[in-house]
Amino acid sequence: MHGYVRSGNSQPAWLFPFIVISVLILSVLPLARLAMVGIAAFANGGVIDVLSEPSLWQATYYTIVTAVLGTIISLLIGCLFAFLLTLTDLPGKGPLSFFFVLPMMIPPQVTALAWVQMSGPSSPLLKALSLAPPLGSPQPLYSVGGIALLYGVQHAPLVYLALRAGLMTLPRDGVEAARLSGASSLRVFRDIILPLSLPGIIAGAAISFVSCTGNFGIPAILGIPASIYTLPTLIFTKFSAFTSRTFGDVAVLSGIIAMISVAGLMIQDRALRGRDYRVIGLSGASAAFQLGRWRFLATPLLWAILFFMLAAPFSALVAGALVPAYGVPLTFKTMSLHALQEILFRQAVTRTAFVNSLSLAGATALGLLVVTVLAAYVLTRRRDLASRIVASLIEIPYSLPGIVLAVAFILVFAAPVPVLNISLYGTIWIILIAYFSSFFAVSLKPLITAFHQLDPALEEAARLSGAGFVRRLFDIIVPLIAPAVGASVILVFLIACNELTISALLWSAGTQTLGVAIYNLDDSGSSDLASALSVLVVLMVVVMMLLLELLAKRLPKGVVPWRN
Amino acid sequence: MKTIVSAAALLAASFFAIPTSAANLVLYTSQPNEDAQATVDGFMVANPDIKVDWVRDGTPKIIAKLQAEIQAGNPVADLLLIADMVTLERLKQDGKLLAYKSPEAAQYDASLYDADGYYYSTKLITTGIMYNTSAGMKPAGWKDLTKPEAKGLVTMPSPLASGAALIHAQTLAAVPGLGWDFYKALQANGAIVAGGNGAVLKSVASGEKAYGMVVDYLPIREKAKGAPVEFVFPSEGVSAVTEPVGILASTKNAEAAKKFVDYVLSEKGQEGFLKLGYIPARNDMKLPEGFPARDAIKVLPIKAEEALKNTDQDLKTFSGIYGSN
Repeated sequence: MHGYVRSGNSQPAWLFPFIVISVLILSVLPLARLAMVGIAAFANGGVIDVLSEPSLWQATYYTIVTAVLGTIISLLIGCLFAFLLTLTDLPGKGPLSFFFVLPMMIPPQVTALAWVQMSGPSSPLLKALSLAPPLGSPQPLYSVGGIALLYGVQHAPLVYLALRAGLMTLPRDGVEAARLSGASSLRVFRDIILPLSLPGIIAGAAISFVSCTGNFGIPAILGIPASIYTLPTLIFTKFSAFTSRTFGDVAVLSGIIAMISVAGLMIQDRALRGRDYRVIGLSGASAAFQLGRWRFLATPLLWAILFFMLAAPFSALVAGALVPAYGVPLTFKTMSLHALQEILFRQAVTRTAFVNSLSLAGATALGLLVVTVLAAYVLTRRRDLASRIVASLIEIPYSLPGIVLAVAFILVFAAPVPVLNISLYGTIWIILIAYFSSFFAVSLKPLITAFHQLDPALEEAARLSGAGFVRRLFDIIVPLIAPAVGASVILVFLIACNELTISALLWSAGTQTLGVAIYNLDDSGSSDLASALSVLVVLMVVVMMLLLELLAKRLPKGVVPWRN
Repeated sequence: MKTIVSAAALLAASFFAIPTSAANLVLYTSQPNEDAQATVDGFMVANPDIKVDWVRDGTPKIIAKLQAEIQAGNPVADLLLIADMVTLERLKQDGKLLAYKSPEAAQYDASLYDADGYYYSTKLITTGIMYNTSAGMKPAGWKDLTKPEAKGLVTMPSPLASGAALIHAQTLAAVPGLGWDFYKALQANGAIVAGGNGAVLKSVASGEKAYGMVVDYLPIREKAKGAPVEFVFPSEGVSAVTEPVGILASTKNAEAAKKFVDYVLSEKGQEGFLKLGYIPARNDMKLPEGFPARDAIKVLPIKAEEALKNTDQDLKTFSGIYGSN
């Protein structure tokens, strides 16, 4: 026993080194390689050129402003839905929750495409309804506000899921005790629910902020036409004019994004410091509040928000796929199935993209889980400096925009892997490894939250009774954190499915992902084809979600994130 | 729990069965998707034993991708079919291209291909002005875009996203009476730079903007489909790129690549381009529908060596005027 277990600590000796090695490969190695290139750029004096460019500071400013505004919007919408759908007796919670999570699973560039087609003079939908603004009217979404609004819509479900996971484990007895003592609903909410849900809100805000700073699809489609560059789009355009200096420039730029993201995470860390709310098991605080008459206000409000978040943009997308040419109003006479036919039956890239995205997302979600369950365990049990360092190393790749990671992985895997002598570059495997690196933190976060709320006493009791690590893992830990495991897999799968920025640089012939295919179609001026493929992607997402819904009865409670 | 674990394992196993592509040739091209697919389909019909995978992106982006791959020592592409000769000339000088003397070259004007056989033009793509038919002014020349009627209504492709746009800017910059001052005047008139040519087409056809600089075939084709747009060849003349094809020196399948070059230069390949709405580069070919007679199109000259030398500076000048990077 002594050989395998550290004294005074219940972890097997191999556990921490295993996590450290995983983090070294997925995070430290590529970033160190990138940093070396960055330092080389410093040494060559190129850094002065980069730092003295006004566009850099402009992009930094836009990145921060859009991310902060976007986070605020996603918090407002996400918290509204989380509190109402988790804690009240609102009717139709199932469908509301289902539809609310949907925008997160739609690729950001599809969201942007759909919203652009919904508003402004270009809207086939508004043209069909004869509501289109006159020629030359500015597209209102091509602005800081437009970018922030879509960030908010895109990331509100992240806040919702983060907060909801915490709300579902709220102790019902606490609420009931307060009620019995005569506390009003408002008082219960303010004094019990809100403080206990703060970690979830803060975690949601942090995920949202970090996702905003790294988002590429939305600022690429909404910002570039208005010359509003965020750091990710600035890096992308720098790549579009590849020179000998590009790698160095990008290394410096990514340093700035890293600082912004780390600053956001540090604020989160500070906000959470000293808070440690542990709750035993799942108490299920469903319907803690009766809405009464308020439901007549709340129900239409939530459905109206969903209409503007989903139904209207999706109709616009369908209209965009059905028009025969740009600027032609959609009527029953002009309607054409050409784009759908081209996408379904002629374009070889359609099938390739579907197969690649689904395989990559599945492999990433399940493969990562093996590492992250163990990592979450170690990081919540060990609270020393080493584990804090490891935890922040895991965060870094996720807080960097995908394009930076992509460059880092190109640099690392350009040459064949030593010893094995396998070349990963130009294959689907390099995208997979980059996904592992990028989504490590996404996979880990719900698990960490779950471990934080797990009472160590249960595991200690099992250990004292002689249960080994593996036994404790499968008999106690995994069942208790099963909802978080489910949430983790689904989150990673859906985010990876919609990924654009990493694959935008790592894709090659035959390894196009859905995100890349849609972006390239739109970029080449075939927005009818882009819309048609987007419609298919949205339908696929809905079908996958419905399948999960059907399976939900067989899955542990809480695995399907939008269900109670 | 066990069932979940085994289901997950099964799922994982099925996901890892990722199909590997068995392409003989990989083509990097800047043609729009539908055209790229049609070109490749045409070649595969003519050469059923060769399978071609293709990748599409704007010329600068596809070159950036290729450069990164070359830096990595593992370029994936066998062939390039991209916007302009200047870019291929640069690759030739860097020793990245394979020389191949195609027998089809005899049918081409000598100015349209590299004498050493490193690259061959496949078509003529001019950049002119498109406008939305509901626009107030009908532009006839480039300078019309700086008039007050066009204030805030002009869009153009970025040289950072499009090879044709780069050549276009370099061509106009060398024309007396236009030059970079013309671009400054456009900027002062509220013109914006929006991605590639596709973005310009979309913006003008949909009425977000009224006027755009754009490659000829996009608006001419869209007009035929019913879009409310017109294309004009401006009085001062148009810039032109020739979408050349070239073989990479690193190709592992040079014989198949040579067949591809022969195909796109052959009468059959050229007819394919014609059908898609491009002006073929081969001598004595017809022009696609919607184009004026060949001699009615005034093509402005560009000196390839000078353009190549000035590319970085020109990009900087352009970025300086439009505040983009």
